[in-house]
Amino acid sequence: MSGGIYQASGTPMTHRVAIAGNASLETAKNLIFGEHLFVAEDVSDTRFFHGTGIEDFPRETRFQVCFLPNLVTPDWLGALPRLNCNYFIEAYDGLELGDLSPLRRPFPGPQWDLLACLSTQSAYHLPIARKFVTALRRRGVLHDKIAPTLEIAVQEAFSNSLLHGNMEIDTTGHLSMEKFNALEQTTRERLADPDFGHRAIILAARQLTETHGVEIFIHDQGRGFIPPQNGELRAMPGSDSTFGRGLSLIRTLCNDLGFERDGRTIRMRFSGHPAMEDGSVSTDLTDRPPSAARLYAAAPPPVGSARSGGASSRPVSPATPPLPAENSGQNIAPIAFAGEIQDPRELYQACILIADDTLISREIVASYLRAEGFTNLVFARDGNDTLEQVRQNQPDLIILDIIMPGLDGYDVCKQIRADPDYFEVPIIAQTALEENEGRTRIFEDGATDLILKPLNKSELLARVRIHLEHRILVKQLRAYRDRTQSELVLAHDMQAMLVPRPDYYRTVGRDYGLSISATFQMSSELGGDIWGLAPLDEDRLAIYLVDFAGHGIGAALNTFRLHSLMWSDGEDLHDPGSYLESLNVQLKRLLPVGQYATMLYGIIDRKKALFRYACAASTSPVIGKNNGQEIRFLDGSGVPLGVTNDARYETRETPFGDNSFLMLYSDALIETPLNNGNMLDPERLQDVLYHIMKRPGGGSDLASQVTDYFYDHTPRELSDDFTLITLQPQTAPSRQ
Amino acid sequence: MIYKTQQNETAVIIEMSERFTFSDHTVFRKLIDELSSLNSLTRIFDLSGIEFVDSAGLGMLLLARDEAEKNHATIVLRGAKGQVKRMLEVARFDTLFQMED
Repeated sequence: MSGGIYQASGTPMTHRVAIAGNASLETAKNLIFGEHLFVAEDVSDTRFFHGTGIEDFPRETRFQVCFLPNLVTPDWLGALPRLNCNYFIEAYDGLELGDLSPLRRPFPGPQWDLLACLSTQSAYHLPIARKFVTALRRRGVLHDKIAPTLEIAVQEAFSNSLLHGNMEIDTTGHLSMEKFNALEQTTRERLADPDFGHRAIILAARQLTETHGVEIFIHDQGRGFIPPQNGELRAMPGSDSTFGRGLSLIRTLCNDLGFERDGRTIRMRFSGHPAMEDGSVSTDLTDRPPSAARLYAAAPPPVGSARSGGASSRPVSPATPPLPAENSGQNIAPIAFAGEIQDPRELYQACILIADDTLISREIVASYLRAEGFTNLVFARDGNDTLEQVRQNQPDLIILDIIMPGLDGYDVCKQIRADPDYFEVPIIAQTALEENEGRTRIFEDGATDLILKPLNKSELLARVRIHLEHRILVKQLRAYRDRTQSELVLAHDMQAMLVPRPDYYRTVGRDYGLSISATFQMSSELGGDIWGLAPLDEDRLAIYLVDFAGHGIGAALNTFRLHSLMWSDGEDLHDPGSYLESLNVQLKRLLPVGQYATMLYGIIDRKKALFRYACAASTSPVIGKNNGQEIRFLDGSGVPLGVTNDARYETRETPFGDNSFLMLYSDALIETPLNNGNMLDPERLQDVLYHIMKRPGGGSDLASQVTDYFYDHTPRELSDDFTLITLQPQTAPSRQ
Repeated sequence: MIYKTQQNETAVIIEMSERFTFSDHTVFRKLIDELSSLNSLTRIFDLSGIEFVDSAGLGMLLLARDEAEKNHATIVLRGAKGQVKRMLEVARFDTLFQMED
């Protein structure tokens, strides 16, 4: 799931509601407080946030629901993958959820990992299937590998519900051109007719945790139909059917297809991703809560082999500490993780619970342990007493006899493991049982290790020591990780603060008659991108984009270093070339050898209609003219900053008139492999821009639309920061 | 979907791009009208720019085939890649159309 560690730690009962663009607040309130979405006691603390663009809703804020404006536009559909929110609902007059409300209850029933509720009118024109699948991929609900299959199935099922369900259009059999023309006519009429056009369609998905698969529901408000039997769907129709392939396709693509609400709900189940094929699954495991299986895997082999290592006092080597990928050493030195137990007293003061129904057995174990120096021993006389003592003493290790009156060792194990607080406490079961069945069973019930009676002193001590050391190391490791993570979060927030917020860059843009749109997304690790604006005088606006090599704390720290330099006194901000030269000299002094930055610094001069800029190995800025008909890549070459003291930077210039646009971007845009294996090379990027500009309304919020394209076509995890900024003269200049 | 047509001596080439789905009925009707007014006996649908097609898109290609037959013209589907290629295969369109890489 994205950004778990960055989640705001507000009070859990506060509902945050995102109101997108001109979405009707009244409709939104009716839905929220009218028990359509939430149960009544759940909405007492609800806060509304308004945004005129997706970037206005900070990613670290979790929204319970986002209301989209009536007649949703493609750019707002981009909120599905980009907003930290699972429920998206078009707020339009005439939305009647009917038997689909309430969509959400805290209990019972599943919480959806993603839900979109749209009017038929909006849904018809939008690439819903694509955006929905992209959003599922980005949330980690869906593995990249099954996304293409899922997209086809969702597209087919969704269009089926939309056209045959909500719009009641019949397209069966072979259509002549005349019939097709009539169909097209009917389609337009029904879209315009509120009786059909205002019907809602809901697309919802949840992850199936057992199989890592996905379940998709599509609900419509049409008249329903009698679903075909599976047998009828096996064969793909030939040329005798014009439009009848949808259901057959779905049938071949999903693992389980069902219909509910008299055919007005389609349910599709898909099995999970191809396990371990590319290693990405095992990476995901590190984010999950530890499972019993992992605990066993970390413990030494249960019987026999420990004997040979009986006298060993070496700690079990812990998992590799999660150091930041690019760690330049000096930055995180104060919290280094040594990998061994630093204070041996911690080992001997560990609390050990000895559970045995006979006094003499308890005393034997205790005497062995005391002789070795373990001082913190507690005792339990039977199964129930064991559970009680666990609760009272929070032991670090339990030595448990299996055969006890009442609750036996198997049940005790199960109950301890059922409690998340004690999920990881090592349990050494002791038994006189020789048979395999009992051994297998006690491990299944959650024991960490097994030791046979009569006890062998050195074996017992070796095992106690090894499990305690392991536990202490895991605790230290966890504390280390928590601390590192909280510092990462802090650095992340600080870096985010260096970048202008949407309300700032929009306002500044307006002062210069420019419409500025931007996307800034930090990779899961810290990255080295920053960008910003500097108003120089009433005609000239400076803009910069910097990318420090690598990521991690080191790169983030460098962004702070540079940011403080940029605004120091005495810099000549008016000449891009000499400005980069002086920045370079100062950075060279500050940066450790081998670290460097790429940068673009440019000035838009509105009066002279010029863009003057200098580059230090930046990406090539893109200048477009005439609605994207003419697109040119400017020269981004130059020595990177911080490499050599005598680097020279030339100031270049290019016309920037009222029908131009400028796009700046970090290299993630052009260097991230797309799902088809290609990258956005200049030719493809040009193509993408051309198509976007050609769309109705395509010229507005250009950065957002390019980002949407990027998200649709790239794998889930970004390995580098992604920054994209576009500047366009406003069509109706606000300046006199 | 958006398209560009271009005619040479022997054929008309229809370069299609973006997504070709159920919401393209209107633009497709326009395309069919345009083709009927041209006399080319070969109509080459260049699908290399299409990144996604659904069953409605397939259906419209069948309609184009019926229309071509009326005018004794042939249809060639050219350059399908990725998802588009897979869809054409699943629907066994190789048995209904002439295909080119």
